[in-house]
Amino acid sequence: MFQQLLFAAVVSGALYALVALGLNLVYGSLRLLNIAHGDLVMIGAYTAFWSFTLLGISPVVSLATTTVLCAAFGFLVYVVLLKRQLGSPALAQRLEANSLIIFYGLSVILQNGASLAFSATSRGYQFLDGVHMFGGVSATGSMLLLLGVAAAITLGALAFLRFHVAGWSLLAVIERKDAAAVVGVNVERVQMISICAGFAIAGIAGVLVSMTQQITPFMGFPFTIAAFVVVIMGGLGNIAAGIAAGFVLGFIETFGVALTSATYRSILIYGIFVGVLLLRPQGLFGKAVQAR
Amino acid sequence: MTFTISRRTFLAAAALAPVTTRLAMAADGPLRIGYSMCLTGLFAQAAPSQVNAYELWKDQVNAAGGLDIGGGQRRPVEFVSYDDQSNPANAVRIYEKLITQDKVDLLAAPWSTPIHLAIAPVLAKHKFPMVGNTAASVKLREVKPGYIWFPTAVIPDKVGEELAAFMAKQNVKTAAVFANVLPLAQEIKTTLLPALEKNGIKLVANEDFPPDIKDMTTLISGANQSSPDAFIVLSYPSDTFLFATQAKQLNVKAPFVLSLIGPTIQAYQQAFGTGANNIVTVGHWSPNQSKWPKAKPFFDAYLAKYKEAPDALDSVLSFMSLEILQQAVATAGLDKEKLRETIASATFDTINGPVKFDGVQNTTTPTSFLQIQDGSLELVWPEQIKTKDFRPKTGW
Repeated sequence: MFQQLLFAAVVSGALYALVALGLNLVYGSLRLLNIAHGDLVMIGAYTAFWSFTLLGISPVVSLATTTVLCAAFGFLVYVVLLKRQLGSPALAQRLEANSLIIFYGLSVILQNGASLAFSATSRGYQFLDGVHMFGGVSATGSMLLLLGVAAAITLGALAFLRFHVAGWSLLAVIERKDAAAVVGVNVERVQMISICAGFAIAGIAGVLVSMTQQITPFMGFPFTIAAFVVVIMGGLGNIAAGIAAGFVLGFIETFGVALTSATYRSILIYGIFVGVLLLRPQGLFGKAVQAR
Repeated sequence: MTFTISRRTFLAAAALAPVTTRLAMAADGPLRIGYSMCLTGLFAQAAPSQVNAYELWKDQVNAAGGLDIGGGQRRPVEFVSYDDQSNPANAVRIYEKLITQDKVDLLAAPWSTPIHLAIAPVLAKHKFPMVGNTAASVKLREVKPGYIWFPTAVIPDKVGEELAAFMAKQNVKTAAVFANVLPLAQEIKTTLLPALEKNGIKLVANEDFPPDIKDMTTLISGANQSSPDAFIVLSYPSDTFLFATQAKQLNVKAPFVLSLIGPTIQAYQQAFGTGANNIVTVGHWSPNQSKWPKAKPFFDAYLAKYKEAPDALDSVLSFMSLEILQQAVATAGLDKEKLRETIASATFDTINGPVKFDGVQNTTTPTSFLQIQDGSLELVWPEQIKTKDFRPKTGW
C-alpha cells in the first residue's frame, strides 16, 4: 500500500506543480495575480473534450493545439488588457492590486462564456483509462501521461532557467525588472512570453485532467486555489521552489490523509499553508529579506 | 345626434388607452410562470437538467394549444426567470419580486434543497402554492405544510433503510461506507449504519471525506484489504467521477457498488463506458417502466430535443413538478387557494407514475434504486416497480 500511496502523492504533486508553474511565471515576471488561472485549465479541458468527441482528435494532439490556443489567448490578454498599463510606471505600480479585479472579471467572463457556449452540463470522455501494473503499483494510462508531461514541462522549465540565456533573462526580470532592463533585457518581450507560457501550461494541465475528471465551466476555481497555495508556499515568483512546493502539497495531502482521516485534508493543507505564512512568509524555499 | 368630447376628456382617454390595451392583452396574453435558477455559482452545473425539462414541458404545452386553465380556456405559457447565483438569499428576493412585482400567474421551483427551504416562508407569506422538485432532505418534513410540496422519493432516512434491505437481499455480508460530509450524504449515512447492523451486514470501513477530495487511494486501498462485498460511496458528482477512476485503478472487486449522485448524469457513462456498467445509484425513475406510460415518451422527447438523455433525478423531478401543476390548474384554475387545495388532495398522473401528497411529501412513489445496465438505467429495487434484476458488478 505504501508504494501506491507514494505514486498517488507523486501524481498529485506533479499536477499541482504543473498548474502552479503557469501561475508563478505570470506572477514572477509581471507581478500579476491571475485568479483566472484555473479557468485556463477549464479551457484546456474543453478543447480536449470537443476535439476528441467531435473531431476524434486524440488528447495527446490536443496538448499541442491547446498550447497554441492558450498562448494566443495570453498574447491577446497581454496586448489588450495589460501592455499599456505595464508600459506606464504610474499605472504599473497599481497594476498588481488592480490585476485581481482584471482577472476576476476575466474569470467571470470565461466561466459564463463557457456556460453559454457549451451549457453547464458535465462532460466526460474515455481516453487512456487502461490500468497498468508495475512494481506493485497500479496506474491508469492517463495518470502516466500526466506524469510524463508534467515531468517534461517542469524539468524543461528548470533546465531552461538554469542553462539558457533567455531563462537567465526571465530570472533577471523576476528578480529585479528595472535592473534587468539596464543590462539590456527586453523586459516587455520577456513579460509577453511569460504570460503566453503561463496560459499555455494551464491549458496543458486542463487537457490532462480532462481524462479523469468531469468537465464543467466552473471546474477551474479549485485549481486556482491550489495553485495559489503552492506558489505562496514555495515563494511567490520563485519558479523552482513553486515546483518543489507542488510536490510537498501532494505528499501532505496523500500521506496526511493516510495518517489521519480524509476529513482532515483541508485542515492539513490550509493549516500548513497558514503555518508557512506565519513562520516563513518568504515561502518554504525562499530567502528571508532583512530590512535595513 | 352628435357627441362632443371635451379636450380634457380626450386627453384622459388618450392617457388611459395604453393601460386598457395592455390590460386586455394581459387577459388574453401568455400565462407567466416564474422561477429562479442557479445559472451561475456553486450549483450552476445542475441547472441545465432542470431548465431543459422546464423548456420541454413548455414546448409540449404550447404545442397542445396552451395550458388548460379550466373552463375550456387555454393560454400559452412563458417563463419569467432570474439567476439566483446559487445563493438562497438571492432566491428569496427573486421569489418576492416574481410574486409582488412581476405578478406571475404561477411559480416553478428553483434548484437545491437549501434554496427550496429558503423560499418556503415566502410562499407561505404570500399564500402562493409551488410544487418543488430538486430537494431531498429529512429537513423537508420540518417545512410547514401548505404552499410547497416535494415529489421526490429520495428522503435520506428512507434511502438508508431501503438500501440496507436491498443489500441484504443481494447477500451482501460486509460493506465499506465512504460519505461526503455534505448534508444529503450524512443524512443517509445516519440511518444506513444502524440499518446495516440490523440486516447483519458488517461494516469494514467507515470514513467521511470532504467535497474537495482529490485522491481516494487511502480510502479505497484500505477497504480493499478487507475485500468487502459492497462499496457504498455517498458521493456528489465530482467525487463520484474520482471514485470510479480510482476504483478501476485500484481494482475494486466488490459485486455491489453504489455511488450516490452522478451516475445518472450522461457524462458519467461517457467518461467510464463499460466501467459504469452495474453501478447502483439512487433514483426512482426509469424510461423502461411500462407501468408509467408517460415515461418513455418523455425520455424520447428529451433525447430528441437535447441530443442527450434526461437526468433520471433532476430532469424527471422538474418535469413531474410541472405536470402536477398543469393538472392542478386544469382542475382548479388560477385561484391560489383552490390550487393549493387541489395539489394537496388530488392524485396526479406523471412520468413517474401516480403522485399524491401527504403534507409536504409524496407518499406514493417508493424509495428506489437504479442500476446502469448496458447503458440503460434500470430500476432494480424495490420488487413492485423494478424493471430488471440486480446484476453483480464484475469489472471496471
